[in-house]
Amino acid sequence: MTDRSRTTGALLPGSLDMLVLQALRAEAHHGLGIARRIEQMTQGAFTVKVGSLFPALYRLERAGLVTSRAGESENRRQARFYSLTAAGKRRLRSETVTWRRLVGALAHALDPTS
Amino acid sequence: MLQRMWSRLAESFGIGGRSRTDRLHDDAEAFVAMLTDEHIARGMAPDAARRAAVLEAEASESAREAVRDEEPRAWLRPLTQDARYAMRLMRRTPGLTLAVMAAIALGIGATTTTFSAVDAVLLRPLPYANADRLVVVLHRGTNPVSAANFLDWQRGTSASFEAMGAAEYWSPNLRGAGSPEKLTGLRLTPEILPMLGVQPAIGRWPAGGAGSAREVVLSDALWRRDFGADPRVLGRALVLDTDTDVVVGVMPATFHFAPFWATHAELWSGLDLAPRASQRGSNSLRVFAKLRERVPLARAQANVTAVTGALEAQFPGSNRNVTVTPLKDRVVGDVRPTLLVLFGAVACVLLLACANVAYLLLARAAAREREFAVRCAIGASRARVIRQLLTESVVLSVTGGVLGVALATLGVRAFTGLAAESVPRLQGMTIDARVLAFATVLSVLTGLVFGLAPARTLSRLNVNRGLREDDRGATSGRASRNLRRLLVASQVALVFVLLAGAGLLLRSFAALRTQDLGFAPEGIASFVVSVSGSSEAEPGRRLAFYNDVMARVRAMPGVESAAAINHMPLVGDIWGFPYVAFDRPQPKPEDRPSATYRVVSPGYFETMRIAVEGRTFTNADRIGAPPVVIVNHALAASTWPAESAIGKRLRVPFGDDQDWCTVVGVSRDTVRTDLHDVPEPEMFLPLEQNHAYQSNAAAHYAAMTLVVRARSDAASLVPAFRAAVHEAAPDVPVSEVSLLQEAVDRGADGARFTMALLGTFALVALTLASVGIFGVMSHDVAGRRREIGIRLALGASRGRVVGGVIRDGLLAAVSGLACGFAAAWVLRTVVEGLLFRIAPLDPATFAIATAMVATVATLGCLLPAWRGSRMNVGRELK
Repeated sequence: MTDRSRTTGALLPGSLDMLVLQALRAEAHHGLGIARRIEQMTQGAFTVKVGSLFPALYRLERAGLVTSRAGESENRRQARFYSLTAAGKRRLRSETVTWRRLVGALAHALDPTS
Repeated sequence: MLQRMWSRLAESFGIGGRSRTDRLHDDAEAFVAMLTDEHIARGMAPDAARRAAVLEAEASESAREAVRDEEPRAWLRPLTQDARYAMRLMRRTPGLTLAVMAAIALGIGATTTTFSAVDAVLLRPLPYANADRLVVVLHRGTNPVSAANFLDWQRGTSASFEAMGAAEYWSPNLRGAGSPEKLTGLRLTPEILPMLGVQPAIGRWPAGGAGSAREVVLSDALWRRDFGADPRVLGRALVLDTDTDVVVGVMPATFHFAPFWATHAELWSGLDLAPRASQRGSNSLRVFAKLRERVPLARAQANVTAVTGALEAQFPGSNRNVTVTPLKDRVVGDVRPTLLVLFGAVACVLLLACANVAYLLLARAAAREREFAVRCAIGASRARVIRQLLTESVVLSVTGGVLGVALATLGVRAFTGLAAESVPRLQGMTIDARVLAFATVLSVLTGLVFGLAPARTLSRLNVNRGLREDDRGATSGRASRNLRRLLVASQVALVFVLLAGAGLLLRSFAALRTQDLGFAPEGIASFVVSVSGSSEAEPGRRLAFYNDVMARVRAMPGVESAAAINHMPLVGDIWGFPYVAFDRPQPKPEDRPSATYRVVSPGYFETMRIAVEGRTFTNADRIGAPPVVIVNHALAASTWPAESAIGKRLRVPFGDDQDWCTVVGVSRDTVRTDLHDVPEPEMFLPLEQNHAYQSNAAAHYAAMTLVVRARSDAASLVPAFRAAVHEAAPDVPVSEVSLLQEAVDRGADGARFTMALLGTFALVALTLASVGIFGVMSHDVAGRRREIGIRLALGASRGRVVGGVIRDGLLAAVSGLACGFAAAWVLRTVVEGLLFRIAPLDPATFAIATAMVATVATLGCLLPAWRGSRMNVGRELK
């Protein structure tokens, strides 16, 4: 049913959480909005399904990195909107730094020329 | 942070705001809804848009479930959610809920009450240490043992038993200030108390040896009653009969021994068998033993059989049929079949209630088909639906079960009030942890059992069919028709078994009450006059004393006649002695027949109104005159078949009176100890010719029972009897006052109680089944309304339409009856033990039960069918 390997970037744990935080950096979104944003940011490489998006959101909410409130969508639908907390912003910044370092090291290691 | 922890905890229990599961539902719904909007905006049709959205979001029910299952306590939340939904549903349909609750409460209440009785009597261990290893070693499992045998057995069986002791009935007169009191007690060898593992509350147990017979231990009740619970009672001297004994201990209030035979003993003393070590002829001991650990009963029995076999070879006739029986069996063995039958019956009633509830829920399920069709359409799995429905039914049954336990507390009180006297150990009946656990498990199981039917039906829905407007749906397919047939058949079978059983018990009870007792019990009062330890016991004075008392009693107004006997039928003890007939071939000593030994004064047979062929005793039959005897019909028929016994001679080769006696009369057989008795041989010797009862100083010869026939109310004369005895001799106590009619009524108490209970169960079952069959058939007809309407419109006669429905129902009922017959046949040996002079497959009873069941079933099928055929055709076809 839910093919996690396709949707969560199997090799690197926590990458979905990162994507969610990044998607919320600019502004608050509801569930579908986050999914669309991630699709956009990754240029179609990641399509997030209900089964993985919301558990990730709830995880982040439990960890205090994300908060939510009720609201109305463009089509006047009732939906829950999620946004970053201050702690979430800080975590995003530090994770991004770590990530870049990691990716750089890996790229160097896997470079056929070195 | 604390707040976050708290809200997390609250969420995992589904309380305090919306739970995470609800959040997921809302979020997923919003997601899918917005996606659907997008599809619609792109031009898809709404239905297709929604389906595509669900697929694309992978938000199907099973996907959501997979998510939910990851959450902590995932298994608990759906259950609590389902439970809350179930309670909402219950509130919405109050009539149905009430009906279901009532049926379940009754069923579980009755079953729990009966289980409580079974637990108290059969399951709970006896109140002694390691009680499962305690056994009795007796002739034929119940008859007393001689001293010499006991000592030999004790020596020879130490491999199997870690201890073996003996107990003897002892009934002394307590003499002190005021009038003497007759007490019931036991003399015990020193092994007994350690075997039971109970310590005296105060003081100690008599040590072994010769001095132990002079030391006594009191029961708690006796201590409080006669000694005012005085803590300094130790060392007090008591005069018991002619001896001065000293109190050395008091037992705790919970101590009771023996649990059978001498159940009201309140005084215990030591038993010194040394003086009787070689006595193998007189049997008065009950032998108790404790198996060694891990020694099975069979091995102990083999050991005993070997030992008694060797002794039998040495002393023929002395060691026959000695069996080792668990003590528990000896105490409750007689009542076990009755209790088990009652438990089986109440289980039938519960099953009936379940069948009815299953049908009611099935009917409700029919109304919920659309709801479940929608659920299946959005992806609920079959397992999920079943789980929800089962949760609903378990919630119903557990709530009903709680009510049932409340009913059971009333039931327990009623039970103990009615039956505590006739059933051993029933006083301990209570709702304790084990009974509550039983009730809980039963409630849950009941819910699962009757919830299965609607759960299976609804989960197998064909989604398309369910969503259509058609009112047939899944509840009128072939599978559900079979289910309805099964419901009808099972109800018929259960009701038949219960009705037949109740009918048999009713006839058995009637036979018990109307049987010819051999004597006329109305107006008879009896009491024991015990001269032991008094000056009246002296030879020469004893007979005069008894006659004096009888004369005083006869002189009272209101007294028609009076006489004396050594042991009163029904309420008194039974002594058996061997006898030898004069002109019969002499059997070996061990094969001699034995008869109940009765010693009576002149006028006994007239007072009791026992018919006698020949003559009865007169004042001329005294010492010096030719010895005479009267035998009962059973003895005459077995000793001198096909001839008149009058004129024949017999003698008792034992004890103080061994002369040849001539038979002068043959008396009618009478009831002996129990109303269920088969007549046994009895012989009657005249008191005036009996040396033992006139002069033997042993306590068991120094008492007679006075039998008085009153003109009207015997009970009111009892104080006058006591006064008369007191006037004749102030130091002779009166005890064991009893009214024979009451004893006869009490003797039938057990049978009456069982019959009343089973009759109640049968009536409840009949009501449940009537309502159930009628309901099932009505529902069937309602479901086929369209079909019937069409057939009527097409010109079918009402008769044919009705006939079809009736035939279906009656076929189910007939197969149910067949199952009922089969069950009755299988259970015949179980029921046989409860019946008196009625066969377990009695045709008349079965015929009546069949007729009742057939009537109920036919009416249950006819009425709905008739209503169905009268329906307004036009209205149905619209």
